[in-house]
Amino acid sequence: MKRRKFLKTTGLAATAAVTVPYILPSGRLFAASGNQKAKHVVYILFAGGVRQQESVLQRYLDDSQDIPFTGNIMYNMFEGEAPSAKIVYGTGAGGETPIPMLLNESIQKQGTLFKEVNALSAGHYGGLNNLVQGSRAITQGLKQKPVNPTIFEYARRHGGYKATDVWFVGNGIGNSTPLLNYSINPDYGAQYGANFFAPTVTFGSLGQEHLSNAKVYHPEDELTPMYQMKYFLDNSFENFGKGLETIGNTEAEKQEIKEFMRQMYNKGGGYFKPPVTANSDAITIGYAAEVISYFKPALTVVNLSNVDGCHSNFTGYLQNLHRADHSVGFLWDHIKSIPEMANDTIIIATPECGRNLEPNGIKDTENEFLAFDHSDQNTSRVFTLMAGPTVPSNLTVGSEGNSIGQTTDNVLTIADILGFKNEVGSSGYLEGNSMSLFDRI
Amino acid sequence: MQILYNSALKRIYFLLAILILTSCKEDDKGVDEFVVNSVTLLPPNAGKIKPKTDQQYVAILHANLFQVALSANQIFEISQCIESIGDKEVAREVIISNFMNKPGVKMPTNEEMRADLRKFITDTFNRFLVRHPTESEIEYFENYLTANPGITPELVYFSFSLSNEYLFY
Repeated sequence: MKRRKFLKTTGLAATAAVTVPYILPSGRLFAASGNQKAKHVVYILFAGGVRQQESVLQRYLDDSQDIPFTGNIMYNMFEGEAPSAKIVYGTGAGGETPIPMLLNESIQKQGTLFKEVNALSAGHYGGLNNLVQGSRAITQGLKQKPVNPTIFEYARRHGGYKATDVWFVGNGIGNSTPLLNYSINPDYGAQYGANFFAPTVTFGSLGQEHLSNAKVYHPEDELTPMYQMKYFLDNSFENFGKGLETIGNTEAEKQEIKEFMRQMYNKGGGYFKPPVTANSDAITIGYAAEVISYFKPALTVVNLSNVDGCHSNFTGYLQNLHRADHSVGFLWDHIKSIPEMANDTIIIATPECGRNLEPNGIKDTENEFLAFDHSDQNTSRVFTLMAGPTVPSNLTVGSEGNSIGQTTDNVLTIADILGFKNEVGSSGYLEGNSMSLFDRI
Repeated sequence: MQILYNSALKRIYFLLAILILTSCKEDDKGVDEFVVNSVTLLPPNAGKIKPKTDQQYVAILHANLFQVALSANQIFEISQCIESIGDKEVAREVIISNFMNKPGVKMPTNEEMRADLRKFITDTFNRFLVRHPTESEIEYFENYLTANPGITPELVYFSFSLSNEYLFY
């Protein structure tokens, strides 16, 4: 009997000794099975409906307005000469002064460009859901949280990341953007969700007015007893089955987030930002750079959308496209200045959808350029650009007549980079023919 | 003699049988006999099943703390601030601590609170959770506040404002 008890105790101790070291912060038992290509991913949802013709195809006004001037207005991202005349996308009166290139060499030259990628949705929210879910859920509605798991949830559940390792920085609170940080899928959900800021609100005039004057409480003497009383009340309430959804920041992580917010309010306009911050995308990128510097997340997803002004203002669209390129260049440059991330980060940028081939008839007041919506076949044409360690440099995959890849590939690509591709691939929630872009090269 | 004895015994048996057959017995309708409905006992907070919207939360919080209504415009603006932060608990914490930093929060002094803890606890439950505390809740808070003299009414109000029950009505 004693021998049996001894064996049982020894067995339990041995099991615990083997298992406990692998219980990760998220509560996951084992670490991801695959090898990491990089420790950090910065994923840009770029940038509100982008026509191939003005972006990767570099046709400037030639294709859209029948004005024979071509050229590259996104020279931080793509290789190619800028337009030589009829400059309207820059700064100053009439936009005549292009914003100087920030990077020493374009991201395309540093990495791989998938020149012709298939976007699976013609709308913004559907497109964004494709990009963060890796799937095209037929039942996905507007103003509804994603129905399938998002890359944030995959990362936290299968990669074992804590909540502050996974961030979503949105360019506002419109268009259901704040809903994208976790899904309603019962196997994943809020407990694996991402932290989220919409900096133009959180740190904009509303945030300054209503959030910036927070009283600072002593963590041990004041906050600890306050939480203890709260938890007593919560326990008595939750006993009746009314727990709340939470993304699971620990108390320490909540303190970090509040401290980060305090620092941003103290900085005022002195936060990291691109040299030109003439639109909300640039401001969003600036605060994304602050989040990245402070938390050094494993996964940061940034949503840009100013180019959607193309519905009624083509000149503004060109200007915002130029600024979105400038902002992405700034962010990539900034990442390289962070020692822990400089050589261990992969950046990925993909538009959620393209735009129409034919204009809608609305002319802007600046140049009488015709505007474009997004609903026809041309809307399904986008690009994916990525760079960083293990990404082949100066490589172009696919061409105008040869589409390779689709927008839902990005989720599996990020899982591949961070080392949990097999888990995501076998989840059963991805779009049927999605592949890691590394496998498409 | 034996005949008389047997006869008496038969009468006794007969009477017993009559008594048993006509004695009280449970009615088929059971409890209806006594006109008492069956009641499931629930905790005092069990009726709170609807979550407050961000706007409702902000409006009620301000009214509870300041005893003054917030303007519709400010309610809308603050609810937008909540929407802009992913961790709603962090957002609510920041908003409460912003309110606490403003003049005009109506709350008793520390001395007033400790002069009559039971009254303070009951008043706080009534004010924030719109119900009376249970005896166990009173006992917990009495013991906790007595054992921790550094806790102020502000921290108690903070904990109630941040509690999950406060998010439902």
